[in-house]
Amino acid sequence: MNIVDATDRTEKLDEGEAPSLLTIILDTNPHAWALLTESLSLSKAVANLLVFINAHIAINHANRIAVIASHAERAEWLFPALARSQKDSHANGVHGDGEDMEMQDGEAADSDGPSLPRDDANKYRPFAYIEHVLLSNLRRLMESTTADALSSTPATMIAGALTLALTYISKQTQALPSATTSAQFNYSDATAVAGGNEMSGDGAKSQASMGLSSRILILSVSGDLASQYIPIMNSIFACQRLTIPIDILKLAGDTVFLQQAADATGGIYMALDNNSRAGFLQYLMFAYLADQAARDHLIMPGEGEGVDFRAACFCHRRIVDIGFVCSICLSIFCEPLQDNLCLTCGSHLSMGNYGQKPVVVPKRKKKKRRALADGGADTPASDRGTPAP
Amino acid sequence: MADSDHEYSEQGSDDDIPTRNGTGRAGAPRGRAMASRPKGRAQAKWEAAASSNWELHEGADGSIEGVLGGLEEAGKRKRLLKDTTPLQRGIIRHTLLILDLSIAMIEKDLRPTRHLLTINYTVGFIREFFEQNPISQLGILGMRDGIAIRVSDMSGNPNDHINAVKALRGMDPKGSPSLQNALEMARAALYHTPSHGTREVVIVLGALLTSDPGDIHDTIKSCIKDRIRVSIIGLAAQMHICAEICRKTNAGDENSYNVAVDEVDYRELLMSITTPPVVRSTDTEAQRRNQAALLMMGFPSRIVEEKPTLCACHGNLTRGGYLCSRCKAKVCNLPATCPTCDLTLILSTHLARSYHHLFPLRNWVEVSWARARQKGSTQCYGCLAPFPHVPAAEERSEHNGTRAKRAEGASESSRYECETCQNHFCIDCDVFSHEVVHNCPGCQSSAHLPGAEEEANGVEGESDAMAT
Repeated sequence: MNIVDATDRTEKLDEGEAPSLLTIILDTNPHAWALLTESLSLSKAVANLLVFINAHIAINHANRIAVIASHAERAEWLFPALARSQKDSHANGVHGDGEDMEMQDGEAADSDGPSLPRDDANKYRPFAYIEHVLLSNLRRLMESTTADALSSTPATMIAGALTLALTYISKQTQALPSATTSAQFNYSDATAVAGGNEMSGDGAKSQASMGLSSRILILSVSGDLASQYIPIMNSIFACQRLTIPIDILKLAGDTVFLQQAADATGGIYMALDNNSRAGFLQYLMFAYLADQAARDHLIMPGEGEGVDFRAACFCHRRIVDIGFVCSICLSIFCEPLQDNLCLTCGSHLSMGNYGQKPVVVPKRKKKKRRALADGGADTPASDRGTPAP
Repeated sequence: MADSDHEYSEQGSDDDIPTRNGTGRAGAPRGRAMASRPKGRAQAKWEAAASSNWELHEGADGSIEGVLGGLEEAGKRKRLLKDTTPLQRGIIRHTLLILDLSIAMIEKDLRPTRHLLTINYTVGFIREFFEQNPISQLGILGMRDGIAIRVSDMSGNPNDHINAVKALRGMDPKGSPSLQNALEMARAALYHTPSHGTREVVIVLGALLTSDPGDIHDTIKSCIKDRIRVSIIGLAAQMHICAEICRKTNAGDENSYNVAVDEVDYRELLMSITTPPVVRSTDTEAQRRNQAALLMMGFPSRIVEEKPTLCACHGNLTRGGYLCSRCKAKVCNLPATCPTCDLTLILSTHLARSYHHLFPLRNWVEVSWARARQKGSTQCYGCLAPFPHVPAAEERSEHNGTRAKRAEGASESSRYECETCQNHFCIDCDVFSHEVVHNCPGCQSSAHLPGAEEEANGVEGESDAMAT
């Protein structure tokens, strides 16, 4: 197979489309999926997702895929598979008996990832491989989920999954264009990937654009992510810097931040309701399959809708649209603080003009009138002075 | 202004820029000498920096093969291992960047020329500045022909500045610079800025002279009065007047005057300015008098309308915009102040960009072979890159010999451990997590954090992790 791919076609492709890396974050929170069983079960969703993944792989032979499960209490790789030994030690750590961390190296060497799938002449081998790895990892993840672990956390680890995806993307991006050392160093100066390559000379820019273009797709089913506000925001800004769009397909629940993520990074946000959920695959294929280059020429769904930009307060994790902000550390609080001490930075905050009536028009009129009728007799008492802003 | 606070402010800014001070001069007695007069100093700052760089090369240079990789990693980490102690910083900044556009910038000691390099770096600086200080304002001035010229006005839009700076490429440097004129113009531009923000002037000076129309000391005094902090990056050599300006406007602290040794150093100096400045105790007192520190802000959501309506701020017909959270007036752009009820309207994403200054990610520690064996890590937790194989226990003594030569700061096993989640990461993920994402992939991906739990249980896991 490889031989076939490596014939004269490669040359042509290299000039044309850059390969793209699609990182899918699958929210596998069992609570949320349980609520969706009538309209779209997890197994059905995964089956549809696999079709979508195959389509992505089929578009360009160099396209890559990564799948991360954002589970109830941890985020885990579904594809590519972890090397065995670390996964075992990780799973053990989650179960709470962290004693047998020591792993013999022999085991890691001989079983590098899960066993290969049975050869099937009717299936393109990369498809079969991805399907096998993804399903076996997902099965293992579900089996290792205990009931008490679930009862403790109803949330999902989107922030962790995003961060994992970003580290993976950054490594892949570095590795792909026969990276010069300068390109490797570049991203740490933070402007490099976001068009800052002019710093090191304009020549580098064209090279970077030929490299891997990445995007992240989040299939979200659970709500409330307010507890992960800061890490999610950090990830969003990282994506913004690296020009990685975050696409969101919302199957259920309501999260403010994911919409902001899609908006800030130029991704697509769509929320499916009970009726449209059955067309999951169709939505995936029509809205999310196009890569960044193609999106320039398409009218993408979800544009022209309002975006909810509310924030989560730091004190109670409430979502607020009017908040109190510490001018020193920019923490958001939902109500005036009791003892005037910022909960985050501890500095003393005077509440200034809270509760003061807004500056309204009549006051201005007074000022005007006084200026006009300066020598006039019946000027209203002006000893109050102009209101300070 | 407030001469009694020298000790404090020096302390504060030492923490702020440890990379420069740590290698530059660790001298203890300098506090006193600095506050009075810099003359007694044995060595200029940039000379010290240059020689210490040289020492670093010599010191680590044992055998080349092992050291090279280590040096690279150590270099990456050196940039990382900075302040993780949260300091109070002025996050709402008003900064004026003053570029030297005088004849001295034609010099080619920095390639291609000082002028072109400065323009390139400034573009990067502008991007980084707004990345780090999203709700801050920047303006750019130039010094040429003995006068100050306005390159771009104070604004929060990076593209305006970048376009203006790029337009400077076609303009040849000419005449001589005037620090006084530039400072006066900067002072005028900063005059209207609100008191809860900082007022900063950053000067890039290539020339070794300043041709001023009057007494610059008067200007310095008025800068002090206006709470303006000046930092200067010299491109040639140290000048007394620059040192004096920086010392006086920074409450006796001289770290804000630096001379770039080479291109890399220049870039680092410029980029270090993008970090929000530490707030000094004298400043906070001034702030307390002036302002309410708890600001009420609205986080409006964006709406899209079928038919265009008038916006409250400009009276233009627009389809969509943001509705004020309090009075529902429509404004067309954020950040803004609601024209009707005077509420500050801002995108929460603007605020959230500064949070990583507030909650810095802890530095990760190097992992010894023993620890690596204990954890059995074979690949990076973040990017799945394989780690070098852990040597068997008996090989270890022999390995110790070679590994000791790896540069300081680099991990012998190429693994770096987050002490909270006890996962191992590669150097690339270390750099990436600390400089770009500001999240730990491990801590965020698990509800059970062994490090945090140990800490909570009072087990001495912390010291264990440190020892390994």
